[in-house]
Amino acid sequence: METLSFHYHLQIRFDQPVHDHHFTLRCFPQSDSRQRIDNLQTAVYPNEFITDSYDSFGNHCVMGRAGQPHNRFTADVTGVAFTGLSESVPAGNPWREHLFRQQTHLTYPDAQLVAFADSLPVYSSALDTAQAVMEAVADAIVYTSGVTNVDTTAAEAFALKKGVCQDYSHMMLSVLREQKIMARYVVGMLMGEGLSHAWVEVKDGDSWYGFDPTNRIRVSDQHIKISHGRDYRDCRINQGHFYGYGTQTQEISVSVQRKEA
Amino acid sequence: MNNFDLLDRTDTINGLLARYGVKFGIYKNGTFKEQLFPFDAIPRVIEKEEFAYLERGLKQRVAALNLFLKDIYNEKKIVKDGVVPEDFVYAASGYLVPCEGVTPPKGVFSHISGIDLVLGKDGVWYILEDNLRVPSGASYPMIARELCRRASPRTFNETPIEDNRNYAQLLKHTLDYVNTGGLSVVMTPGRYNAAYFEHSYLAEQMRVPLVTYSDLEVENDYLYFKGYAGRKERVGAVYRRISDEYMDPMTFNPESVIGVPHIFDVYRKGNVALLNAPGNGIADDKGIYYFVPKMIKYYLGEEPILHNAPTYLPFYEEDMKYVLEKFDTLVLKDVAEAGGYGVVFGSKMTKAEKEKFIAMLKAEPRRFIAQEVIDFCDIPIQDRGQVVERKVDLRAFVLTAEEPVVWKSGLTRFSRNPDSFIVNSSQGGGFKDTWVLSQ
Amino acid sequence: MGTKSVINTDRLYWLGRYSERVYTTLKLFGKSFDELIEQMTQTDYSKFCSTLEIPNIYTDKDDFIARYPFDPTDPNSIISNLTRAYDNAIELREEIGSEALSYIQMALYSMQKAKEDQAPAIEFQDVIDDILAFWGIVDDQIDDENTRNIIKVGKRVERLDLYARLKMSRVDINREVQRLAGRIDRCSLRYRTQSITELLDAVRAESLDYPAILKSVESILEV
Repeated sequence: METLSFHYHLQIRFDQPVHDHHFTLRCFPQSDSRQRIDNLQTAVYPNEFITDSYDSFGNHCVMGRAGQPHNRFTADVTGVAFTGLSESVPAGNPWREHLFRQQTHLTYPDAQLVAFADSLPVYSSALDTAQAVMEAVADAIVYTSGVTNVDTTAAEAFALKKGVCQDYSHMMLSVLREQKIMARYVVGMLMGEGLSHAWVEVKDGDSWYGFDPTNRIRVSDQHIKISHGRDYRDCRINQGHFYGYGTQTQEISVSVQRKEA
Repeated sequence: MNNFDLLDRTDTINGLLARYGVKFGIYKNGTFKEQLFPFDAIPRVIEKEEFAYLERGLKQRVAALNLFLKDIYNEKKIVKDGVVPEDFVYAASGYLVPCEGVTPPKGVFSHISGIDLVLGKDGVWYILEDNLRVPSGASYPMIARELCRRASPRTFNETPIEDNRNYAQLLKHTLDYVNTGGLSVVMTPGRYNAAYFEHSYLAEQMRVPLVTYSDLEVENDYLYFKGYAGRKERVGAVYRRISDEYMDPMTFNPESVIGVPHIFDVYRKGNVALLNAPGNGIADDKGIYYFVPKMIKYYLGEEPILHNAPTYLPFYEEDMKYVLEKFDTLVLKDVAEAGGYGVVFGSKMTKAEKEKFIAMLKAEPRRFIAQEVIDFCDIPIQDRGQVVERKVDLRAFVLTAEEPVVWKSGLTRFSRNPDSFIVNSSQGGGFKDTWVLSQ
Repeated sequence: MGTKSVINTDRLYWLGRYSERVYTTLKLFGKSFDELIEQMTQTDYSKFCSTLEIPNIYTDKDDFIARYPFDPTDPNSIISNLTRAYDNAIELREEIGSEALSYIQMALYSMQKAKEDQAPAIEFQDVIDDILAFWGIVDDQIDDENTRNIIKVGKRVERLDLYARLKMSRVDINREVQRLAGRIDRCSLRYRTQSITELLDAVRAESLDYPAILKSVESILEV
């Protein structure tokens, strides 16, 4: 068990002012059986209104509008997380969660990835299978930033043999779903990591267990979960719709530190 | 029945339809054109008893479809009980994840249902498809009736016909019933939509504003109609004639420029009714069509009153075998396509086409359904001074507020081409008034 | 008064303006057309253009007769203005009603028919009849006073604009100024009160300053 303080910082710069900017932010950790979140503070600037919303996966969102012309948009989320309270989170309606067995555009495997999935051992326990898949995926790619982007599919990353946490996770999801195991994409924060992080949750029995293929480890008390969905697209940290000709640059910085007593 | 007076006035009525701008838009080679929708004055007549039978069957069907939608986005009992395989739900393009767990105001999903039927030569009515997203067409018989009565009052004096001009009142009641507080409005993608006439006509007849995305705005947890000089009024019900994917760039297609950002969040919170509910595409999916009779038994414990056209799912091995055997006698439909597209007849394919199609069918069996070709009834139309026979279908409209109500009329469409079974207005063809006799 | 959208307010105003522009320019053209039949010289239509302050893009008198009323690619042609009226009207069905809209639709059909006719003046009369009927319906059948008045303000503004260009008499200008001043307060349009004051002063002045009147007219909605 750990007590971690976190700070999630998002900044978007527009080289020309934009207006009527509607946004949905999805960067708010919630309490569950694995983690308890305390003292959550949110600052969004600029805004004419902000209000809470929850998507169909139960992820906490903040939506709002910045109507006046602006060049800069920021969101800061801070709080304290008590982590490692349990190694799993309970499952919901099983029939709804069958959704996590379906491939998506980003996880849909090509022939090579199917062959890769077929070459891996399947155990009677989903957790054992997931462990093997995680290790195989971790071995199959070399962590390399800048070669893939948010639209890169699992199959493309597998062909490149390179990628970042998003690609590791999509590949792992792709293989698990090929094996008819329910698995979902998770966005969160990890101690010692300056950016947001992604990993995978696997369903076994009535619970979901976290696997971090990028680091080849089970999710521990160093991980703070923010959201989950079928793939990256369900978990986008920030979505915006605005008017103007500006091009945007997004900057994210995350800091997770052990809280001194 | 003596309708000669009315038939003599076909040109007059078409002239009046032109006068009132009864048109539909069509894109030809990339440019937008407005076309008149040709009207044939020979009515389609449905006897009172026969319509009562259709009415019972349609109410039953729509009630089951509404229960299916509620179930599929919540408990999923029908999947759990093995009646509908989960692949047909989760892999369907009409299934929308953001609608999971959302129950619309008053629990109504399909407020306006357009059910397409044909009458077979065997005297049996068959359901061709359900349209539970944005079915269009009610405005045409509605205004045609108005003009026919003007052109030939005698006909309507001598014949006991149910008045169909109450559609706007029925629709307004449907909107008001689910309204969560505030205005009811009709939302159109704009003037260049194929059904723009209908959008504007229904708004006029209901006396509600016709709006586009730029007139609506979300603030906090509510939707507002933005007026001149900074006025603002809350909106409680949106009869939106824009498809799910374009409705809200924050939740659906982010490229949409004709949607209202965050309108879906307001809907999810129960603060506005959207008609029809987003996500309805799962219930009118061509693959799900096969299961509708099973749904009726499952949810209502009743035998289906109206029949589907005999349908096979190549997804099931047994059906695949049958389809390959009888390929030449079947019609095949791509479940992802609409509006008469993606429909092919086995008998009309060349050998090469057939081989190519069968390969596709085997690769993606879930993508197709196969149906027996129904030989449906011909109905007379006037063509350059002569009476000839053409294929027709009937789109019945079922409006659901407290309970499903069947509009006592419908859109009868006919094909121009004597060999065509496809009567969709986007592929040529015209329409007739549909008379339901009251005695 | 119900809430009316920004865009529909704008459309109603411009529907009023374009319907008036078609009506007055068509009548004016009808008069010129009559003269052109036998006597007008090749260059006399240039006066018509300069009075209305439209560019004289026509190669000769026949070109003028063919294009000024009917050329859809000439932005100043009568049919272009009628099409603009129609484009506004078609998106106002629920505001003005199908009945009122049908007269704008019919005016457009008549104009298209006139183009094919050797004696277009006959169809021009239909167009004028349709516009008059449209205004009659606006008066008679549109219950919402605001809707009615926005159209009428558009119509008055356009008429004043044209009358000032045509240097019409004080009686005519004064009548239109009084009608506009009496109407504009009775609708939701936001306007520049100063412009109305200027117009009321202008018609009381010893001699009519047409350019100043035009300027005031053009600035009415500049708030």
